[in-house]
Amino acid sequence: MAVVIRHLYIWPRSPERFMWTFGWPFFGLLIWGLTISFLQKSSSSNFSFITMIIGGIVFWEIIVQPQREISINFIDEMWNKNILNLFASPLTKAEYLTALVIIGIIKMFITLISLTIGSIVLYKFNIFASFGFHIPILFINLIIFGITLGLFVNSLILRFGISVQEIAWAIVAIVQPFVCVLYPLSSLPVWVQRISIILPPTYVFEEMRRILFSNKIEISNLILALLLNIIYLALTLWFFSVMFEKAREHGRLVKLN
Amino acid sequence: MAILQVKNLTKKFGPPAKRFIAVNNISFEVKEGEVLGLLGPNGAGKTTTIDMLLGLTKPTTGEIKIFDLPFEENRERILKQMNFSAAYVNLPWRLKVWENLYTFGRLYEVENYKEKIEILIKEFKLSDLRNNLTDSLSSGQLTRLYLCKAFVNNPRLLLLDEPTAFLDPDVSDLVRKYILNKVKTEKTSVLFTSHNMAEVTELCDRVIFLNEGKIIAEDTPAGLTRRIKFCRVRLFFDSNINKVELLLKNYQYIFSFTGKEILLNIEEEKVGQFLGRLSLAKLKYSQITIEKPTLEDYFLKVIRNKNEN
Repeated sequence: MAVVIRHLYIWPRSPERFMWTFGWPFFGLLIWGLTISFLQKSSSSNFSFITMIIGGIVFWEIIVQPQREISINFIDEMWNKNILNLFASPLTKAEYLTALVIIGIIKMFITLISLTIGSIVLYKFNIFASFGFHIPILFINLIIFGITLGLFVNSLILRFGISVQEIAWAIVAIVQPFVCVLYPLSSLPVWVQRISIILPPTYVFEEMRRILFSNKIEISNLILALLLNIIYLALTLWFFSVMFEKAREHGRLVKLN
Repeated sequence: MAILQVKNLTKKFGPPAKRFIAVNNISFEVKEGEVLGLLGPNGAGKTTTIDMLLGLTKPTTGEIKIFDLPFEENRERILKQMNFSAAYVNLPWRLKVWENLYTFGRLYEVENYKEKIEILIKEFKLSDLRNNLTDSLSSGQLTRLYLCKAFVNNPRLLLLDEPTAFLDPDVSDLVRKYILNKVKTEKTSVLFTSHNMAEVTELCDRVIFLNEGKIIAEDTPAGLTRRIKFCRVRLFFDSNINKVELLLKNYQYIFSFTGKEILLNIEEEKVGQFLGRLSLAKLKYSQITIEKPTLEDYFLKVIRNKNEN
């Protein structure tokens, strides 16, 4: 009984455990419910659902990999109690963030290559052949969004400490239902669509499906996504910088160690 | 020449209603080639001061100048010539010894860092562990690795927060000699905290004593110990122990017994008078040891005064 009570004490103080109990099951329900409902409605059409889903999964990893690398490598310095060594060295904030971004992009490309090979071998779906010269603008949008999410998570850790580290894994799952990875924007309730249209990846996934289904593209949507991405990235860099200085001011930076 | 100048440095934490002053208007200097000890009980403000000197915590008010440059405006330039080691900071566990040191060699933009690191590895007796993962090292080996990292850029100013906390006495001795040699040959300036008072006495040219965020004393280690008027006298009696006890009680001395040994705390200038009283009473001791006050006595005196207040 003592052990049960001990775990009940910690439960309300652990946002990550609330997510395990309520958040993840709910997001699972949302994503798979929306996907299946879209598939049911479209069952009479003649396009390949497997292509759409594999495309969605591969594109989604282009967001996930930079975000996870940027956030988890930052957290890793805290687990190693090495964060003070870094920030007490001549390393600047900009240099540190650039290094995180570079490693995030490298790992993203490694994942992309393995997923591309896997989808060719298993499903005869070649992402590069399917999207051709549209790939750079599609990928750039996804990469920038992944970087922005990663830096946003790091800013939250600077503000709230290592206790919010779960968000490094959670943030992509929170965003995923809104950005229409596996189903079109039109299949979402209107109030969710209002959130989706301010998220750049929504446009990328919509255009991905448009290319797959009709071999056409609305480039203006991708330019709009790029503009939104640039705005969000700039805001996140500013937010990180403010949180970093606040962490120094309030003594939170040394506590991260 | 002052390498480090701290003027009216203050650090306050928390909202105004619950404000905690960790460092309260302190000023001090470290000269070139000087070892300055920063002492004080837990919570005195030593680590907060070091954190501010490294730019990890922003001062509430006050000025920090290092190499005659204001810190905030010249952070990267200054930190390139500084380094630190602290008992509460580690290095990545899953990197090998040489990988960790190469990382910091690059971070500090050290020229010929590979050669320099190989020399440091030998000097700190880590050659056999060069290819070991950091998480396989013992606490003493880790401390030597952290010190290697602290010397990787040949710093002009070195901040050491309890650097020898987990070292064996022989390795502690090696580290102390290494630091003293750097100070002597390369004019390295060191700001040093330790709870080992013998080490502070051996290493430091000057000591600042912090308590509740304020500097309460600043002197040489010998100067601080001179502020303690009392010394310890140990006497061993083969017989007449009851008579000795009676005499000590009559004259209201502060003493304690351990078998036939008596430990007496007495003002240094009154030792002669006490020995005269023993002689008059014809009480003969078989052994006598007079211990002069140490820095530790000064430290304990400050702590006791703090607790009484």
